[in-house]
Amino acid sequence: MKIQPPKRPLQFLRWFCREDYLDEIEGDLIEVFIKQSETSPRKAKWKFAWSVIKYFRPAFIKQMKQQPNPYGMYKSYFKISVRQLIKNKTFTAINISVLTLGFTCFLLLALYLHDELSFDMFHRDAHTIYRITQRDQQDNGTLRNISAVAPTIGKEVQEQFPEVEDMVRLSAFGRVTLGNDPTNRTHERALSADDNFFTFFDFPLVEGDAKTALKEPFTIVVSETIKEKYFGTGSALGKQIWSGYRREGQPIYLTVGGVMKNFPKNSHLQIDILFSDATWHSLYNDYAQYVTTEWVDTEYTTYLKIKPQSNIASLGTRIDALVKSNYPANREFRSSFTLQPMQEIHTNSSQLESAADEFNANGIKPFYLYTFAALGLILLITACLNYMNLATAVAIKRTREIGTRKTLGAPKTQMVAQFITDSMLFTLLSLLLSVALVYLVLPWINIFANKEISISALPVEWLIFVVVIIVLVGVLAALYPAFIATRVSIVDALKREIKIGGRSFSVRKALLIMQFAISVMMIASTLIIYQQLNYLREKDLGFSHENLVVIDVNSRNLRRNFETVKTEFGKPAEILQVAASTRVPGEWKSFPVATTRSSENPTGSEMIFVGIDKDFLETYKIKLLAGRSIEDPVADSLKIVVTQLAVEQLGLISDPIGQTIEIPRVRYGERMEELEAPFRVEIIGVVENFHFESLRSKQMPVIFGALNTEIQVIDYYTLQINTSNWGNTLETLKAINNKIDPDTPLEYTFLDTRFEEMYVADARRGQIFLVLSVIVVIIASLGLFALVSYSVESRLKEIGVRKVMGASISSIVALISKEFLLLVTIAGAIGLPIAGYFMQGWLQEFAYHIPFGVLVFAEALLVTLVIAFITITARTIRAARLNPVNSLRSE
Amino acid sequence: MKNYQLGEFEEIVLLTVGILNNEAYSVAIKDEIESRLKRTVSMGALHTALIRLEDKGYLKSFSGESTEDRAGRPRRYFEITALGKKAMLYAKETREQLWKAIPKAVLEVSLQKLAVSSHQ
Repeated sequence: MKIQPPKRPLQFLRWFCREDYLDEIEGDLIEVFIKQSETSPRKAKWKFAWSVIKYFRPAFIKQMKQQPNPYGMYKSYFKISVRQLIKNKTFTAINISVLTLGFTCFLLLALYLHDELSFDMFHRDAHTIYRITQRDQQDNGTLRNISAVAPTIGKEVQEQFPEVEDMVRLSAFGRVTLGNDPTNRTHERALSADDNFFTFFDFPLVEGDAKTALKEPFTIVVSETIKEKYFGTGSALGKQIWSGYRREGQPIYLTVGGVMKNFPKNSHLQIDILFSDATWHSLYNDYAQYVTTEWVDTEYTTYLKIKPQSNIASLGTRIDALVKSNYPANREFRSSFTLQPMQEIHTNSSQLESAADEFNANGIKPFYLYTFAALGLILLITACLNYMNLATAVAIKRTREIGTRKTLGAPKTQMVAQFITDSMLFTLLSLLLSVALVYLVLPWINIFANKEISISALPVEWLIFVVVIIVLVGVLAALYPAFIATRVSIVDALKREIKIGGRSFSVRKALLIMQFAISVMMIASTLIIYQQLNYLREKDLGFSHENLVVIDVNSRNLRRNFETVKTEFGKPAEILQVAASTRVPGEWKSFPVATTRSSENPTGSEMIFVGIDKDFLETYKIKLLAGRSIEDPVADSLKIVVTQLAVEQLGLISDPIGQTIEIPRVRYGERMEELEAPFRVEIIGVVENFHFESLRSKQMPVIFGALNTEIQVIDYYTLQINTSNWGNTLETLKAINNKIDPDTPLEYTFLDTRFEEMYVADARRGQIFLVLSVIVVIIASLGLFALVSYSVESRLKEIGVRKVMGASISSIVALISKEFLLLVTIAGAIGLPIAGYFMQGWLQEFAYHIPFGVLVFAEALLVTLVIAFITITARTIRAARLNPVNSLRSE
Repeated sequence: MKNYQLGEFEEIVLLTVGILNNEAYSVAIKDEIESRLKRTVSMGALHTALIRLEDKGYLKSFSGESTEDRAGRPRRYFEITALGKKAMLYAKETREQLWKAIPKAVLEVSLQKLAVSSHQ
């Protein structure tokens, strides 16, 4: 075997060397190499390689193919693309709106997701903060999860476990009246925290020192909003504010220890006023003892800062053991504790009860996050697929251009570059538009979703990621039409006879069906939601809730001498009626439910028990069917008025009046209270049924008794008002209230607003569905438009021939629409059952709902078909009206 | 005046082609220069010089037979053209003129120095 020169250098030489010299050089080098390798083969190889490298100089390097100046070509691509945009105005508009819509939704959802995922992450130590949660097994076997624990636990855990670096406890102490101006006082939530709250968390203080703001008793830290409410602009630090708390009969003044920036919306804590924990030590004598010895109560939301790399799970079990060993001997320990990481609080707290709403605000289920992420991607992809269809349709129109380019020798890459330039132009234009659109709609969305999302909050990585995705998708969407268009033969292109993507057409049909299935689903759901909302609004509740103002009784002064209070409130001319009662319809506090039994119904049924005075039925316009109402609270204290439903359930239909029934026990929310002796009352009247609660729950029977029975005390005044100037009337009411009780502000509610609020979540759902339906329908319609365009463009010649043969415009429109309307109908057949399934579930939440019929689905399908038909016609009619000369001329 | 440009290495190559007469091809030229002048010559540099000389018209080349030891590649033989000869003569003459113009004294002294330094 002859010695071979090393391969790689030789390859390299052959790659770069001028062809006319190559043979000679190669020959020379090999000759030298062979000669040398006789003495030292190793050295020869190195020498050979080195020589090759030395040949790598301009004189021997091959002339690389001379490129024409590419700039001119880019300019041409751009120019042609712009001309194309201007030439096909409709297509351009539709293309850009398709992409803009998709991008906008994608951007918004990305912003939303980022906001949700960055919840609570503004705290420096967010990754080491944990909240203690407790799981209790209750008497009836069910589990109760609470995000608050006993006060001792936090303290002991911090002292006994070295990995716990810091601890802070929050608690809620009901409500307190605040305000220096006696005519303008309000109830505020009294939330309190340990004094290290502001060093533990990173809620910045505008005024005051984070270390000492909550040290002293009777100091509060208020948010900027609250500061402005009570102190106006300017500094509030050190100022005093009157509070409803009393010591030795004197009102206590609280000192402002600090002003905190309003809590960001992406915090699970939403606190406006924070009391120092020391306040309770000074206010309540036994507080110190309670805090150091209570191991059962779940009132303190406790956060721990834990050293990194600690075993969190084992810490939980050690807390179990700690609490167990300290548990009161007379109680069975059935709890377990877990540490919930800060970043999970927002997404993983829906099953948790919390000590106060302010400590667990705005939670969301992770399911929704996944749904939103999926939705964003689906919208983006659909928009791009629609764009792809449209662009392909346009590409067919441009076949002659493509043919000409090919004839003149344009390489494939150049044509692909042309299409990509087109698409990039669209993508960038749409991207700019959608960013502008996002800026426009974001404030609206922030109000709607109660968020503080801003584009600038998005970190650069996210921004780059989003833009890259969008541009990438834009380019990919361009590649398909580009390759389709460049693959056709020159002759076909020039003859404008292109049959492209025959098989992929069915994929596109499937895609269209999917889009319309979703559209139909959304339309049907929206229709059902709105019909149900309307039903809720219109439904006769059995009483009037219009022009009624309910005054919440919060003080003893207002509760005592209710006759005097009633007369006072009744004095102004615009107040038609005043009624006092223990509870009012549309109740938001829990109401007492009495187990009521009669001789016919010895086990008893649960009935809402409300104490009323003589004016109640008239104020609420509840119809008395038989007998009389409660007239005198003393004389009628053992008499009751019941609803028809109560009569039925008690089995006293024949003659209820004068019957005596028994109430052995009363339930307040979850708490059952056995009365010492059954409360025996006589029925003196029967009223028509009415809905005491929201229409979500089944109508319950109601018993009206006298006020101040053993079951409950007076809690509300209801005023029937006829006024044209609500502002004035409310001022009058406030003045009256102030005269009776200067310490307590007037708390009032409009009853009809109350009822509206019961369905506020549903109304919001309705709005979301409406907006989403519109977007989905627009996207689907544009998709349909694209597909129809595509179909029409490739059938232009057929249409021309048909017209020549005498086909009418309408028959041509019908010919093309038929196929697509069929697709939409199939979509309906898929989408409607799904919508039906989900909406039935939703309607089941209401004890009273609209009948679940076929009609609404027929409506939804009809709406979709009409939209689809308009879309199709808009496109086909133009093609159908085209002079056949134009489409047939090319032969 | 006609300008014959000839670099130092080019001149050496040209002369060597003359020495080798009909046997002048790249490897032979390289070997000849290396053996006579005791200096290493890289193939690349030699080749560049040959190409340049050919471009200037001082050399002309023709393909020879292909041989086994060149893996079947043909040798390219070089010949000095008439112009090449003129250029060589011109170079030689200009040198000689310059030599003659140097004062004897200068030359002797410097030559002695050179001899002394080379003996050390």
